Amino acid sequence: MGMTITEKIMARTSGRDQVKPGELVWVDINTVMTMDYLGKQCFTKFRSLGKSEVFDKDRVICVSDHLVPPPNQKFATMLNEWREVVREHDITHFYDLGRQGIAHQIMVEQGHVLPGTVSIGTDSHANTYGAVGAVGNAVGVTDAAVAMATGKAWFRVPEAVKFNITGTWQPWIMAKDLSLHIMGMMHWNGHLIYKTLEFTGPAISALDMAGRMTLCNMTVDLGAKNGIVAPDQVTVDYLSGVAKGEWEMLDSDEDAHYEAVYEVDVTNVGPTVALPDKLDDTVPVEKVVGTKFNKAFVGTCTNGRLEDLAIMAQILKDKQIHRDINMIVVPASQTVYLDALRAGYLETLIEAGAAIDTPSCASCAGIHTGVAGDGDIVLSAGNRNMKGRMGSKNAQIYLTSPAVVAASSVTGVITDPRTFN
Amino acid sequence: MIRGKCWVADDYVMAYNIIIQEYWISPINPEENSKWVMAGVKEEFNKENGFKDGGYTFIVAAHNFAGGGKSIEHVITGLMGAGIKAVFADSFARLQFRNAINYGLPFVTSKDIAKGCNTGDELEYDPSTGNITNLTTNKSFNSVPAAPFVAEVESAGGLMNFVRDKIAKGQPIG
Ligand code: SF4
Repeated sequence: MGMTITEKIMARTSGRDQVKPGELVWVDINTVMTMDYLGKQCFTKFRSLGKSEVFDKDRVICVSDHLVPPPNQKFATMLNEWREVVREHDITHFYDLGRQGIAHQIMVEQGHVLPGTVSIGTDSHANTYGAVGAVGNAVGVTDAAVAMATGKAWFRVPEAVKFNITGTWQPWIMAKDLSLHIMGMMHWNGHLIYKTLEFTGPAISALDMAGRMTLCNMTVDLGAKNGIVAPDQVTVDYLSGVAKGEWEMLDSDEDAHYEAVYEVDVTNVGPTVALPDKLDDTVPVEKVVGTKFNKAFVGTCTNGRLEDLAIMAQILKDKQIHRDINMIVVPASQTVYLDALRAGYLETLIEAGAAIDTPSCASCAGIHTGVAGDGDIVLSAGNRNMKGRMGSKNAQIYLTSPAVVAASSVTGVITDPRTFN
Repeated sequence: MIRGKCWVADDYVMAYNIIIQEYWISPINPEENSKWVMAGVKEEFNKENGFKDGGYTFIVAAHNFAGGGKSIEHVITGLMGAGIKAVFADSFARLQFRNAINYGLPFVTSKDIAKGCNTGDELEYDPSTGNITNLTTNKSFNSVPAAPFVAEVESAGGLMNFVRDKIAKGQPIG
């Protein structure tokens, strides 16, 4: 019997020829990521294992993203302690304020994730790493501490589900729309829990790395273990010059076993919106056109990339954001920030009346800048919309693509970018 | 054999409701985390030691216990600090299932237990057979026995102890 790409990765990193779903294996990990608010606890736990040096200083990646720049004294103190512990362990790659970005963006963009390998991180959206054909997985600080000490993590080999995506992407339709479409189709609360989700088909081959990252990013919200796109020429081009290490092009065997195969024709996927509170309550944009909102947010590990800012700039060129809308745009990393600046996107967005915030998770988890207050209705390109996610429990969050956010911000009500002029 | 009172969830129990946002960035510590555990699940638990004071030993839940995609371990340490010795559910969210294994807190999959228990019922759980008995109603339930690795980690007192021991002895972990 053939193996899926995830099975192959788990086999080769656990030193076996073959693995089967359900088996527990200890795999060699390529990189382990931790970040500002949990990182210190990882190091403390790691020390308690009786080690003082991490398994490889080049492969423990430390990032400041949830707390930078600190909005209050508590966060400032946490950051100081975090910096001290990273310095103490002589970590090679520390993306601190000034070089910061959302950890998952940094991991992929800086080449710390490689096809055919396993990378883990102490944050839910580590699933993003599947975009380059790696197994990317979220873990708690215990697993991270163990990996820092040993270079290994245990895994249960997951059953596989395939999404074969065919057809052609229509104008203004983004990977986020497909992601929300699948969310509505499969439900957030999990027929997909523990599974590996494999995205294949012509519409995936046609997707750039930014879109693949969006798609894999939100597989955690489907309850899946990981999402993965097999490496191809897009991957090779993206990684050339940034990859930190060697990699292997793996793909699933023809006769690999899938628990289920779903077909989606992307030609029929339009702009999609998740209604407040429940991620799988998704509707085509037509259903909510005209809905009022007062805050617009584009950023996060889901949609804070250059391609997202590009499409916004295209829509907002020579337009003005409605006077009743506050828009905050947060590039996912310093690299994205600089690239968007050089490309002129930020200039366009600022001229239109958007506020650009420095790279961080910002209001995504409701603990940093730009949080929602009572009565706010937020149109967000982020990944989560449960009550209280972005701050107040008395706020509502609609989730959608950057294109929908941009077009809607001009009119002041939810708008279909396809009919927007 | 573990014996004690159960609390039965009447809906999906999400990780971000077990530990609410305000406590996500607090240190991982069973005593501290247990004070506000379950604060977002029910209004009656939204006070200091609100859940803990119930004196429950078990939680009985339905589908996707501790779901919603949060990886924080406070969820597990909070429950443990509140005296929970095992959670029985139809299914568990993977992030917290993993954390539970790492902490040696049994997350036990049992298909129909949710329909057979009420909050306050006295249960008895035998980890060696996976048998759960509701002593109040005299009903029994089966559960999926833990995999050998899980049992090994559990008997070591969690993954940290398991790995620490291997490192101290210079043994490979896998
Ligand atoms: S951007 Fe949001 S979802 Fe992504 S890592 Fe930050 S807080 Fe989590």
